[in-house]
Amino acid sequence: MTSVECPDLEDLFNALEAGEGSALEHAGQCPLCTAIIEEHRLLEQDLYRLADPLPPPDLVHKVMARVAAEPTPARRELVTGLSILAASVVAGLGLLLFSDAALSGASTSLARLVVDGTALFEALLSGAHALWSTAAGPVAALLSLILFSSLFALKRLAGTGPTPSEA
Amino acid sequence: MLMADEATAPPWKASVVAARRGDPSAFEQLVRSVQRPVYGLALRLLGNEAEAAEVSQEAFLRAYQNLHRYDESRPFDLWVMAITRNLCLDLLRRRTKVKTEELEPMKEILPSMEASLEEGAIARQERQSLEEALNTLSADDREVLALYYVQRRTTKEIAQVLGCAPGTIMARLFRAREKLRKKMTTEEPT
Repeated sequence: MTSVECPDLEDLFNALEAGEGSALEHAGQCPLCTAIIEEHRLLEQDLYRLADPLPPPDLVHKVMARVAAEPTPARRELVTGLSILAASVVAGLGLLLFSDAALSGASTSLARLVVDGTALFEALLSGAHALWSTAAGPVAALLSLILFSSLFALKRLAGTGPTPSEA
Repeated sequence: MLMADEATAPPWKASVVAARRGDPSAFEQLVRSVQRPVYGLALRLLGNEAEAAEVSQEAFLRAYQNLHRYDESRPFDLWVMAITRNLCLDLLRRRTKVKTEELEPMKEILPSMEASLEEGAIARQERQSLEEALNTLSADDREVLALYYVQRRTTKEIAQVLGCAPGTIMARLFRAREKLRKKMTTEEPT
């Protein structure tokens, strides 16, 4: 029977594991908690004495007999990979060829990408030209700063790598 | 560089690589190295020698079939034990009922580390009582106790086998041990 002041056993064992806590302080003065801790300690000792049983002597032989009937893992991996690839290709082609909507959608998207990409590039070029004509000095300084920082960073990165002999 | 890699490579890696290429002796070496903890876990969970042997075989076969998916950075034994555990749990779920009477044959099967003459009959009897009490616990409790105390696994390793957070293992261990303590206390003759 546990007295009302005794902490929850899980709290007590958490405190024991942590090595501190009010539960531990209580246990130091409570014969009931001390007895439970001692029972757990003895139980642990007994549990540590148990051992795994020896497997049947023919276990390895039986496993290897079943393994012998299997394809090698490398071959299985290749077959699985090729199967997935073939299924993906067939599904993709099937979707495009047998669905007019999908084919038309894919073509429209491709055409839009080409047109929009060209317009974006031209807009960027025009913006850069306008910037250069209005503030060539600061832009040149900024570009030089970025270039030199990048070169310095690359040099530092290359410097920390292993030497050819270490590699 | 290659030599350094070989020195730091886990011991099972070379055998796994060779087994993947189809070298049966390499896989046999892997099976031999982990068969005892695998069979031990299966027997603790199932409580039946024939089923434990069958599940162990199946676990090794699944391991071989999925060797290309195995992550070499993970210990091979823990990977196979996780497969074994899943197979055992599937089997336990399929059983219509789990009876403690089924576990009777285990009494004399599971050995102790100490079989010295000095220990004698008292130690055997105590061990038998402990095994009996252990077998009345749930599979969840049995597996965590077996992995921690019998197989001396760390909480991190146990978490890998059970597929849970390492921080939860100590609490599970305590609860399982407390249930076992209560069983042992009620079984003790007055």
